[in-house]
Order: sequence, then structure tokens, then C-alpha cells
Amino acid sequence: MGNTSYSLGKTLLKIEHVGLEYDGRPVLRDVNAEVRDITVPGRVQGQVVGFLGPSGCGKTSLFRIIAGLNAPTSGRVSVNDLDRPVRAGEVGVVSQSYPLFEHRTVLGNLMLAAKRKEKDSSAAREKVMGLLREFDLEDKFPLYPAQLSGGQRQRCAIIQQILCSEHFLLMDEPFSGLDLLMLEKTCELITKVSDMDDLNTIIVVTHDVTAACSVADHLWLMGRDSDASGHKQPGSRIVKEYNLIERDLCWQPGIITTARFTDFVREVKEEFRRL
Amino acid sequence: MNHAATVFAPNSVLNRNAIRILIATQVTLAFLLWAFSPFVLLPKPGEVLAALGDMWSQGLGAELITSFLLNLQAIALATVFSLLLAYATVMPFFRPIVALLSKLRFLSLVGLTFFFTLMAKTGHQLKLSLLVFSVSVFFVTGMADVIESIPKEKFDLARTLRMGEWRVVWEVIVLGQVDKAFDVLRQNAAIGWMMLTMVEGIVRSEGGVGTILLDQNHHFRLAAVFAIQLTILMLGLLQDYGIGMMKGLLCPYAALTLERK
Repeated sequence: MGNTSYSLGKTLLKIEHVGLEYDGRPVLRDVNAEVRDITVPGRVQGQVVGFLGPSGCGKTSLFRIIAGLNAPTSGRVSVNDLDRPVRAGEVGVVSQSYPLFEHRTVLGNLMLAAKRKEKDSSAAREKVMGLLREFDLEDKFPLYPAQLSGGQRQRCAIIQQILCSEHFLLMDEPFSGLDLLMLEKTCELITKVSDMDDLNTIIVVTHDVTAACSVADHLWLMGRDSDASGHKQPGSRIVKEYNLIERDLCWQPGIITTARFTDFVREVKEEFRRL
Repeated sequence: MNHAATVFAPNSVLNRNAIRILIATQVTLAFLLWAFSPFVLLPKPGEVLAALGDMWSQGLGAELITSFLLNLQAIALATVFSLLLAYATVMPFFRPIVALLSKLRFLSLVGLTFFFTLMAKTGHQLKLSLLVFSVSVFFVTGMADVIESIPKEKFDLARTLRMGEWRVVWEVIVLGQVDKAFDVLRQNAAIGWMMLTMVEGIVRSEGGVGTILLDQNHHFRLAAVFAIQLTILMLGLLQDYGIGMMKGLLCPYAALTLERK
């Protein structure tokens, strides 16, 4: 048990027996995971969870199912204990290329998202400007997405989804192709967004073990089973779950420089290599 | 790399001044080549200018206005018709219809004249319908291609922002492709001028530059033919510039990611 005192509340996201087949070929098999509201006395604590797996293991397929963009062949994903499958829009999605509407300015993009929930234009604008300030993009509101740097674009895409979703943010390979500085900033950003509200839940889908370990409180490792002769079986499932809170490896500044963290990353990587 | 080498280097980007100099040099060279060409059948600039003056005094301006207005009307109708049809491809019902219309661009206008004559009540209507048809089949092909090539992630983005499917159509296909629609319009407005002379040659009521062009061509008055062609070219370029300017004003984001802006 970790040193930080915490308790688990209601279920925020539930993945139940999710299976997916393309043309009869299994891609996902009986994927199960549950994200519950974490409460830490005396501070706002959101949730950051990660789905790790090698390239081609069906992470993006799972990503699209969690986002409500694709339906699974079997099982279901639900949010906030609702007795129905998740719908597109309930989970904010930030994909690898940080898509934005190129024909709208930053403000236009964000207002479009804000007005999906807030019908009053001035209140929506106030909320947008507040988030722009929070994410150091205040002076960028009249620019078009093509005029933003990669990092600014990423933040803008995150704000857009925060404005529209119900506390969920699903990020596809957020660490891919980033230099060390940008990687650290992205990790900080993920932590910052999760800690903006107790119910905020960031779901990271990635193959970057170290970065995922540095931000997540829970990790699920996805992969394919091998048969007796060592051949990979079709269809990925969750092969291992890691609770970083129990291991006292999260919510601590500088944890990534400790030997415990390095050992943990090594352990996950070893498991990863076997997949 | 020196300037001379730069203009022949692949993917070189020149500054505005260098582009101006390059264009001025090429236009001057083309003019000199024309003026001093040994090809005797080619009318000289002076002859073309004189023919233009003659025709202008004989009412070329009025014919030009007739043709311009007809073309404008045809382009406007073809644009509305084609955009509506292309946008309708979001519904599977309309996809085969649009695909079929797109295939009709291989048909000859001459072969369709009889069919359109039966439907039209006046010469103007006949010319207009022929032009709208011939521009639309190209326009709808271009625009349907634009819509088909929109990446999936744009639709996903709209859906994750809780847009219903009609709102997705509006945001991603209509608003999101306005800049591309201008490009398609620009191409097809030029096709309109190309078709116009043919249509005015087939249907000679109301006159128009196409009728004059065919008459002068028939009598082998090459200086006059050149003069009309140059006039049409100037008008076409002006129209092209106008559409380009409108695109720049309404879609300032379109050029932001271009290398050669």
C-alpha cells in the first residue's frame, strides 16, 4: 500500500468484455478495465490511466471504442455508471495529429466546443478565455490552427475537448515523436488537466512505457497471447494491470528520478517485450 | 546558389520581386517572339491591335457584355446546382446519381443540342442550359472528389464535439471545404469560357463573342481571331483574379500552409 491516503469512489469508466472483429479476424478479446473516482483528502485529484501495448495490438481500435466512435463486436464501454454504451462526445478525444477545424480561428474552434454545453455566448466566451489564459494561449485566440506551433496546437486541441466532454479526455499516443522538453511539458499538461477537477479522467493510449508510467495512476498492458509453440494468437487482451498508487509511484514530484520508479519501468518493459 | 540556378532548382521558392521579374521577362520574350516571328501566317501585334480597334467600333464591346453576362449566369447556376448535388452525396441515395452525372462529361455538346433544343423555349435558354450542363458535369466531379477526400479525423473531431450528422455536414463538408469549392469554381469558370464560344457557335441567337469568333475564323481573318482570343483571355484572367481575391478574403487560412504562397 502506498503512503498517500486515498479512497475510491464511483465508477467513472467501465470497459466490460469488449471484443472486436474485422472480417471475422479478432482484434480485441475480452478487454476489461474500470476507472474509479480517486479521492485524496485535502486536494483536487483527478485520474490518469494508461493503456500500453506494442504497435498493432489494437490500441487505436480500443481508443475509438472508448471514444464512442466505433461500436465493439461484443461487450460495451460505459461512462459515469450509465446503463448504456458511451456516445461520441461524452469522452473528449485528442488524437495524435491534434485535429482542429482549419477554417476557424482558435477562438472559433473553442467557441464551437464551448457552445455545445453553454448556450449563452458571453458565458461561453468567458470560459474559453479563462482556459486560454490557463494554458498560456491567451494571445493566440485570433490565429488560425495553421499558425500555431505543435505544442500550442496540442493545448488548443485539449482545451477544445475539455470544453465539450464530461470530464473525460482520451489521448492517442500523446508522447509520440516529442523531444525531451516537449515530452516533459506534455506530461505536466496531462497532470495539470487531470488535477483541474476531481472527476477529470485522462486516458492515455500509448506505447511509450516510461512516459505512461510517469503520469498514470493505473496502467493496463495490452497484448496477444502466445500458444505452446510461441505463435501469437489473434486478438489482444489486457495481460497485466498495474496500480501505481498501491506501489506508491504516483503524485510525487521527482518520482521519476528514483530507483523505485526506474525498477518499475524496467519491470513493465520486460513484460512489454514478452508481448 | 545564384538567381539563374534558383529558377531551375526543384521546389525553389522565390520572393515576390523575383517572381515579378521572372514573369516580366517571360512576357517580354513571348511578345518579342510573336512580334519578330518569321511565320508569315501569324498576325503581328500591330495587325491584331488594328483588328481589335475595328471590331470594337463595330460593336465587339456589346457582344462581349452579352457573352460575359451569359457566362456569369451559367456559372452561377452551375455552381449552385453542382454544389447542392455534391453536398447531397453525403446521402447514399444521391451517390450513384452524381457518379452518373460525372460520367456525362465525356459526351459531346453537339450531340446533346437536339435534346436541349426540345426543352428550351428561347435561344438564350438553350445556350444557358447547354453551358450549365457542360460546366456542371465538370464542377460536380471536382467537388464530389473534394468531399470524398476529406480525412476521417475531421468527421471524428466534429462527432466528438457532439455534433449531429447534419451539423457535421455543415461544419466539415460545407464550411470546411469553402476554400476548395473556390478552387473548383475557378477551374470551372475557365471551362465556362471555353464552352461559351462553342455554345455560341452552335446557337447563334443573341450573337456573342463566340459567334464573331467563328465568323472570323470561317473567313480566315486571323488578326481578328487573335484579337478576340486576347480579349477573352483578358476577361477570363480578370474573372480568375476576382475569384482568387474572393477566396483570399473569405478563406485567409487556405494559404497559410502552402509552400509557394
